[in-house]
Amino acid sequence: MSKATTVTKLKKQENLIGYLFASPWLFGLIVLGIFPIFMSLFFSFTNYNMISAPTIVGFKNYEILFTNDDLFWKSLGNTIYHVVIAVPLGIVVGVGLALLLNNKIRGMGVYRTLFYLPNVVSVVAMTLLWLWLFQPNFGLINELFKPLYDLFDMEPLGWYLDQKLSKLTLILMGLWTAGGSMVIYLAAMQDIPVTLYESAEIDGAGWLKKTIYITLPLMTPSIFFNFIMGLIGSFQVFTIAYIMTSGGPSRSTYYYAYYLFDKMMIDKAMGMASAMAWILLVMVLIVTIFALRLNKYVFYLGDES
Amino acid sequence: MKKLLLFLIALSASIAILGCDGNTEEQEKIQIDFWHMSPVGSESYTGTKDIINAFNDSQDTYFVKGTGYGFWDYWDKIAVAISSRTAPDIGFSTIDDVPIRAEAGVLYNISDLIASDPDGIDIDELYQSQLDFATYEDDLYALPFSATTRVLYYNLDMFEAAGLTEADVPTTWSELETVAKLLDVVEGDEIQQLGFDPTYGNATYHGWLWQTGLDFFDDDLNPTLNTQGHIDVLQWMIDFNSEYSRSQLTAFGDANAMLGINPFAGERVAMIVEVDGLYQIIKNAGATFNYGVTQIPVPDEDGIRVNWGSGFSVEMYDNGKGEDDQKAGAWEFLKYLMSYDVQMELAEVNGWIMAHQGAMETVAEGNPILERLLEEVAYAVDKRYVPYAPSWHGNDWQPYYSQALEGELSAAEALEAARNNYLQKKANWEATHQD
Repeated sequence: MSKATTVTKLKKQENLIGYLFASPWLFGLIVLGIFPIFMSLFFSFTNYNMISAPTIVGFKNYEILFTNDDLFWKSLGNTIYHVVIAVPLGIVVGVGLALLLNNKIRGMGVYRTLFYLPNVVSVVAMTLLWLWLFQPNFGLINELFKPLYDLFDMEPLGWYLDQKLSKLTLILMGLWTAGGSMVIYLAAMQDIPVTLYESAEIDGAGWLKKTIYITLPLMTPSIFFNFIMGLIGSFQVFTIAYIMTSGGPSRSTYYYAYYLFDKMMIDKAMGMASAMAWILLVMVLIVTIFALRLNKYVFYLGDES
Repeated sequence: MKKLLLFLIALSASIAILGCDGNTEEQEKIQIDFWHMSPVGSESYTGTKDIINAFNDSQDTYFVKGTGYGFWDYWDKIAVAISSRTAPDIGFSTIDDVPIRAEAGVLYNISDLIASDPDGIDIDELYQSQLDFATYEDDLYALPFSATTRVLYYNLDMFEAAGLTEADVPTTWSELETVAKLLDVVEGDEIQQLGFDPTYGNATYHGWLWQTGLDFFDDDLNPTLNTQGHIDVLQWMIDFNSEYSRSQLTAFGDANAMLGINPFAGERVAMIVEVDGLYQIIKNAGATFNYGVTQIPVPDEDGIRVNWGSGFSVEMYDNGKGEDDQKAGAWEFLKYLMSYDVQMELAEVNGWIMAHQGAMETVAEGNPILERLLEEVAYAVDKRYVPYAPSWHGNDWQPYYSQALEGELSAAEALEAARNNYLQKKANWEATHQD
């Protein structure tokens, strides 16, 4: 046996062992990942009630959604409203918190933990808690605002029960978990070389100037990351509306993912729901591609350009 | 390495040995899978298990393996199992959409089984209105298992406090209004007790509508909703407590919600339209107030005595694998479940009204509330299954209904908007269902 064949054999054996070790993951990727994705693409061209066999209807599902489905546009509008407000607001609050918690004062670890804590609470528990806090008649928030209401002689806000405020209420509630992104911002802040601040101080820069000219520019990679992730996540908003408002009042919090869910679970229209999922994917993809163009404003430390 | 390997082998061997419970008798029998809604830890678990065990003890050929899921879990599980053709041999579902599953060929034809075993199940004991729902192309594809009914609950203590007696319990809409107003208790601006509200509990717009002979859809399932009669019924519901402001009513409703229990059980309303299940809730809560149940008041002129009833069906699933032994076993178990004795036991265990009339009459003997509830089951009608809007009464209707109640839309506007939505859904459904 020549040396070359032995090496080939060994290589093959090594490959085989490699695949063997990777097989659980490969199984997961193919069976639980790729297969359902392609099946949903197939279903999107069918009429499928999940009991009888699917029948092919071509592009009919897509055509109906775009041309003769008022709720499709309504839910899409609600979702875009959510994305446009929730994503920037989340960044502002996250960065703001990180700036506050990037100080060297006693007990900082405790504060950081406290702000991060909401992230370990399950979404369902959190939503139920806020349901009580925002309750217009008995909620703590309206109790706190009572002097203000009296001062301006106004009716207490209806929060999630008022269709004009419901989306905003859910967004405000979502800010409670801004501690998650705050951790990433904090890490980014602490990566900024101290020398930069030192030289700025020598030049007479105060806290504000240091923040605007050093901290924020050098945080842009993490802000950019959170922006993209937030964008993708916000398009899929569902749970809070499902638990807190059931899509109401007057479908004001009936988001795209909620409508998709109802198409499948309530209307038993798996084909239509799959088509909605693919439309969402393409929309998120397009928005993300445009968002990635903002990359040119991102400042990477050590980048030659 | 060798030691680790040996350890792993020993571990898996011991797990395998532990896994065998040594009951070889069970292994020799043909296993029948039965899904129910009494999971481990639920109140009805032990009772359900006893019923299954009693069947197994009486059997030489079959062994029923029961699997319980919580009520809300059950529906997703059974739907997925049916669509993936891994459904249990026998299980429950909703009775109004049996024809959909029958048409898809996932259910065994029960009429055929009855024909070959005529003494197996006494069909005459079951409610005809429920049997109609379980029928597809003149054959039964499921059997009614339980029944639900909606009635008027009234609090006799509150009646007495207002100087009324049981003889004053309303039977018509106008009486309902008069009596309800006598039972309202308001202190300052705050409603302390409400006589009645036609939107509370399990009262529904379609329920009131049916009493006037109207419905959401015509015989061809085209949405109606655009007649003056439809508007009048909705307006009647909206106006019932209109002497109070929206914020007064909301505050009262919110206070009810805070209690976390039914407002009737919490003694906040004097009368309410509710399902038979409220009787169990009041019983389990150990409530001490005196109450009664009666038929829901009907419109003064040409009112129809009808209430929205629903129920579970019991079905035998055909997974297309030619499992004749399982089919025969499931049939044996179905006969057992539908027998007089077992239906009585099931009524006790679950607190449900079972479909077997004779069994329920025995259970209700000496219990005036239960007897009255049973009487109303005879007038219960299930909602129709509308393929293009399966949740026509829920998801599709609720947003318009709440807008009408909140005063954001007039009754006519809300009904028109709802109708347009149904029409759009119908058109879209038809566009994707062309043969």
